[in-house]
Amino acid sequence: MTRVQSGTIVVLLATIALNCAALAGEKTAWRLFVSDHSEPIVNVIDLLKQEKIETYATKAPARLYRSKTGRTVLAVQRGADVVTAIDSGISFDDHGDHGDIKVKAPRLLGLEIAGKQPSHVVEYGGEIAIFFDGEGRARIASERMILESKSVLRETAPGMPHHGVAVASDRYTLLSEPNVKNSDALPIGIKIVDKSGAQIGGVHSCPDLHGEATSGNVLVFSCATGLLVASMDGSAPQVKHLPYAAALPSGKTTTMLGGRGLQYFLGNYGADKVVLMEPTEAEPFRLVTLPMRRVDFSVDPVRAKFAYIFTEDGRLHRLDVIAGKLDGSLRVTEPYSMDGHWNDPRPRLAVAGDKIAVTDPARGVVSLVDAMSLTKAGEIRLGGTPFNIVAVGGSGQTHDD
Amino acid sequence: MIKTLRTVVLAGLVSLSPLAAGAVSTKKLNVVASFSIIGDFARHVGGDRIDVRSLVGANGDPHVYEPRPADVRTIAAADIVLVNGLQFEGFLRRLIEASGTKAPVVELTKGVQPLKSTEQAHNRERSGHHHHHGDYDPHAWQAVPNARIYVKNIVDAFCSIDPPGCTTYETNAKAYDATLSVLDEEIRATIARIPPHKRVVITAHDAFGYFAHEYGLTFLAPEGVSTDAEAPASDIASLIRQIKRDKIAAIFVENITDPRLVQRIAAETGSKVGGELYSDALSRPDGPAATYVDMMKHNASTIRKAIAPDVP
Repeated sequence: MTRVQSGTIVVLLATIALNCAALAGEKTAWRLFVSDHSEPIVNVIDLLKQEKIETYATKAPARLYRSKTGRTVLAVQRGADVVTAIDSGISFDDHGDHGDIKVKAPRLLGLEIAGKQPSHVVEYGGEIAIFFDGEGRARIASERMILESKSVLRETAPGMPHHGVAVASDRYTLLSEPNVKNSDALPIGIKIVDKSGAQIGGVHSCPDLHGEATSGNVLVFSCATGLLVASMDGSAPQVKHLPYAAALPSGKTTTMLGGRGLQYFLGNYGADKVVLMEPTEAEPFRLVTLPMRRVDFSVDPVRAKFAYIFTEDGRLHRLDVIAGKLDGSLRVTEPYSMDGHWNDPRPRLAVAGDKIAVTDPARGVVSLVDAMSLTKAGEIRLGGTPFNIVAVGGSGQTHDD
Repeated sequence: MIKTLRTVVLAGLVSLSPLAAGAVSTKKLNVVASFSIIGDFARHVGGDRIDVRSLVGANGDPHVYEPRPADVRTIAAADIVLVNGLQFEGFLRRLIEASGTKAPVVELTKGVQPLKSTEQAHNRERSGHHHHHGDYDPHAWQAVPNARIYVKNIVDAFCSIDPPGCTTYETNAKAYDATLSVLDEEIRATIARIPPHKRVVITAHDAFGYFAHEYGLTFLAPEGVSTDAEAPASDIASLIRQIKRDKIAAIFVENITDPRLVQRIAAETGSKVGGELYSDALSRPDGPAATYVDMMKHNASTIRKAIAPDVP
């Protein structure tokens, strides 16, 4: 055990606190953006006040994506062939050892990116790529341009319609390669194109490609056979195939998340299992069996060692990423069976500071859970069928200067 | 902010408790170093009494390092964690919190006279802000006298948690310190052979402030003290103008950064890339900078050969 010279620390911290107080105040703000499953609306909730502050009409029910900075929320409306951009109103200015926070009213940016059947949205290195399944192409914009309500930076060449994905860097774009024999089937791999559209090298095989995630500087796609691990740091993207470990049972990952603060990936693996993936480790896959089938999951961007998994029995489980074990559970909603249509309204998760927000479409509420104690922390009544959810916010300094 | 600072303050003030009696008589001290250069120092001091693991390995960039769950397990199993300090390891707090470790975290720059970060002065001029940033350049190991302070701090830390091994640590450190003293003299002699008006060097990021201050060179860099942000276009343009105006011929890539920016500057100015310098990480064992001593010799020699090839 270490012995701390507590008196000295108290004096030092008091001095630091006084200095900081003299320089700046601190502010915390969190907002939840919640789309409805059946109505074309996006509600905005002030989490600290636990009240709705805004409702935006969209053209169709939306899936929501938030940018890494949290400044932008994209409402993807597949049913209306459009993506609507929303300014979350919360922004941070990085100052090295701290960040300044600015809080303004959320607003529609007046920017709509149109195209047939928008699907996956992927942000990498400040560039946001939206794939349009109906056109087999991506439209790419920087967040800065979106916030300035400027139209698309560039788009890839149209291709065979398919349910695909694109990831763009400043020089290259990784694009899903469709199955030419059957456009309804999942893509068969990834190709790399430069800014002129010229393909670099061959197609990197990834049968049944579905699911991608980034964690730090590593980008991963999930395939029937394993993972495609891409590094975009060098002069040209490096892509390697990492087969599933022989010890894993038969299955594959089709939905993935990237760790924040720790570099790892969390994916589904069959209906009632998840897999933790660390591509650079000697044993890259750790399987975690769930008590019931998975409904949704989310990583904790603040407490990096935790992720959360919601199962069809209405329980929220906390996953210790380091130990590879569930370390707590809480009943949050009534059961939501995974039988029935894949797109039935079921709970979705978002982590907002020290709270986990869980949409409960059947009751028209967003339930809040304390992330540390895994106890109920209230609920916010929205009505309708709250479904997709993203959280934006944090703490920062405010200055009078 | 308070939380971040408290972590740093605590790390600076821990008083190290010895391990349970006999703990190291049966097992080696489990030492975790934040990056490869510190790992090399620890290896020289600890010798056979320790096992060292560097979180950021050869050619890795600590500025943008993303810690992994395996690193958390490594920290959790550590007897002691050696770090640079001066806000160099941005990833450290996340790791310490996630691991729940009780191991002492020792900042090796304690006792070093830190240099003000040129980047901060530059940023203030540009933005007009008056915030408290990381005001000091963290790359203190780039001057050998500072490396000798690092080594002394490691000896003190190892002796505190493993008193039975203290004599061994002190003996090892004494021998290594003699090597560092000779290295310091060699570098001074190497740089002294370069005509003073030619001692201007371009690198990718501002990692050589202590080297410049100690040995009498000027380093210019398009990126600041961290590699995690793009260099502003205006800075690059200004640097290109300066290279052309002052006819600066020595421009170097670094092992931890993307060489494209430096290569672009070289192409724009007609300069030749004079080689690769090792700033924040050692090379792989088969490379030219597998140890700290090799790294410093390689850097000094590479700079000298590029600036003054005619000087022996």
